[in-house]
Amino acid sequence: MADYLLDVKQLNKRFGGLHAVRDVNLQVRRGEIVGILGPNGAGKTTLFNLLTGFIPTDEGTVNFQGRSILGMKPHRIVNLGVARTFQLCRPFVGMSVIENVLVGSLGPRVTDVDLGARALHLLSEVGLAEKADTPSELLSYGDLRRLEIARALATDPELLLLDEPFAGLGSAEIESISALIRKLHAEKNLTILLIEHKLREFMQLVSRVVALDFGEVIAEGVPAEIVNHPRVIEAYIGKQTPEALA
Amino acid sequence: MAALGSLDKLSSTAGLVSLVLLAILPVLAGGSYLVGVLTVAAIYGIWAVSWDFMSGLTGRENFGHSLFIGVGAYAAGFLNVQMGLGPWWSLPASMVLAMFFGLLLGFPTLRLKGPYFALAMLSAAVIMQRLMLIFWEYTGGEEGIQDITPLIRNHLHYYWFVLGVLGLTTWLLAWLARSRWGLILRAIKGDEATCMAAGLPITTYKIISLIISAAFAGLGGALYAHYQLQVSPQLFAVVTSITIITMVYVGGIGTIFGPVGGALLLTMMTEGLRNFGEWRLMIYSVLLILILFFLPNGVVAPVWKKIRAKLSSHARSAGTQAPIDKAAGEV
Repeated sequence: MADYLLDVKQLNKRFGGLHAVRDVNLQVRRGEIVGILGPNGAGKTTLFNLLTGFIPTDEGTVNFQGRSILGMKPHRIVNLGVARTFQLCRPFVGMSVIENVLVGSLGPRVTDVDLGARALHLLSEVGLAEKADTPSELLSYGDLRRLEIARALATDPELLLLDEPFAGLGSAEIESISALIRKLHAEKNLTILLIEHKLREFMQLVSRVVALDFGEVIAEGVPAEIVNHPRVIEAYIGKQTPEALA
Repeated sequence: MAALGSLDKLSSTAGLVSLVLLAILPVLAGGSYLVGVLTVAAIYGIWAVSWDFMSGLTGRENFGHSLFIGVGAYAAGFLNVQMGLGPWWSLPASMVLAMFFGLLLGFPTLRLKGPYFALAMLSAAVIMQRLMLIFWEYTGGEEGIQDITPLIRNHLHYYWFVLGVLGLTTWLLAWLARSRWGLILRAIKGDEATCMAAGLPITTYKIISLIISAAFAGLGGALYAHYQLQVSPQLFAVVTSITIITMVYVGGIGTIFGPVGGALLLTMMTEGLRNFGEWRLMIYSVLLILILFFLPNGVVAPVWKKIRAKLSSHARSAGTQAPIDKAAGEV
């Protein structure tokens, strides 16, 4: 029990008649990279919003480090060490890149004296150091993703939730963001939970996959098992051959 | 890092110089009429800068700022006339009471999204104005409270005092706006969800900022009460809030210094147009529409930004001793 960093049991969320998340169980061990796979509308982002307190849960339990975080306000969950990014990048408009990162470091978890130096260091880690003083609205989409990740890292998380980090990116950018995630995982001992449906990169990145469809977990396992799982194939691409996935 | 830096030297110097110029202006030009106009202009400056600190920085527009002004002014009138306390008690009392109202209103309204905060504040101000009439036994009803003692009898000296309060208020709020606190308020304007994802309790920040804003609006209200020597329900009028918001937009929203300039400029403009008689309001309105249409970032702050850029480039090219007078003359 206690070995799980994140332990989710029987999570449910309904939006009127739509059962967006149905009896989801999810366990993440410290140091894992777990992927949540599913077609559009499968309930992936809703699941993230439930885990991070952005929308209230109907039923279920969510424990982080053995402690219930259900019903907590989003900022309190962040301050326990759960950071997230958004699928559509949401920088602070009218602020420079480094100011965006600084805002992430103003919570109680960060005790560094020189926040500016810390922010600059984070920017160099994600490869944005030269653009520190650029207005954030002038960044390319790939750079916005990096900024989004740097801002999440600024909160000093134990668990990082990445909501479709590859969405809207070209293949070169996908590769470099993927390398960045790998590097952060290795160097910072971060536990990462990510949503994606860009299969190739995703499958190489994660150690374990939880597949969702219509709000339900339909399969769970290592990437090789998932790509061959009949329900995943059916949900994802209809009745085609598994080769199309890999 | 620019983000968490202190006030830049040029802006502080310019602020100080303007303050000194404003202080000696009535001495040079003379006339008690000018002293009166400038006193009101400085009080509007306090109201505009306090509005800008909360609403300009966070983007949550407060259409009921007059509520805090009225509360502060009535606190002054009530303590001074009804309870017979010395006039100086008005200043701390008006701030404390306005802060209490800031908390009372901010707590429920700043959780609201979209335009509801603006509407709730607007309604609250209207309700307060009605309450002043309903509880006329205590508030004096339509007449309000008369015969308030002045804080300082000499009008010029009182003007200097108000100017000093304006200077201190602006300095304090500008300092806060440049601090961590201001960065968070600007982030709230940028994106509330991202702020939450950054681990910041945004509702708390907004409420405390409204309380700070209310404190200075209330202080300005008390200064106004001790200038007019009477208070009336008209202080709560929505038009006061709208005037202040217009001053902030003309000055440059979210720039702290700009709204003070906007307040001085518009108060002077109102007076300058007196000669036009009944055309005054129309000319004033047309000018405002033109300003807001062609200069959506306002007048005062953008102009100062340009001057500052020129000054600093001069300072750099000329070495240590910058020919500031010459540069300012060119602009």
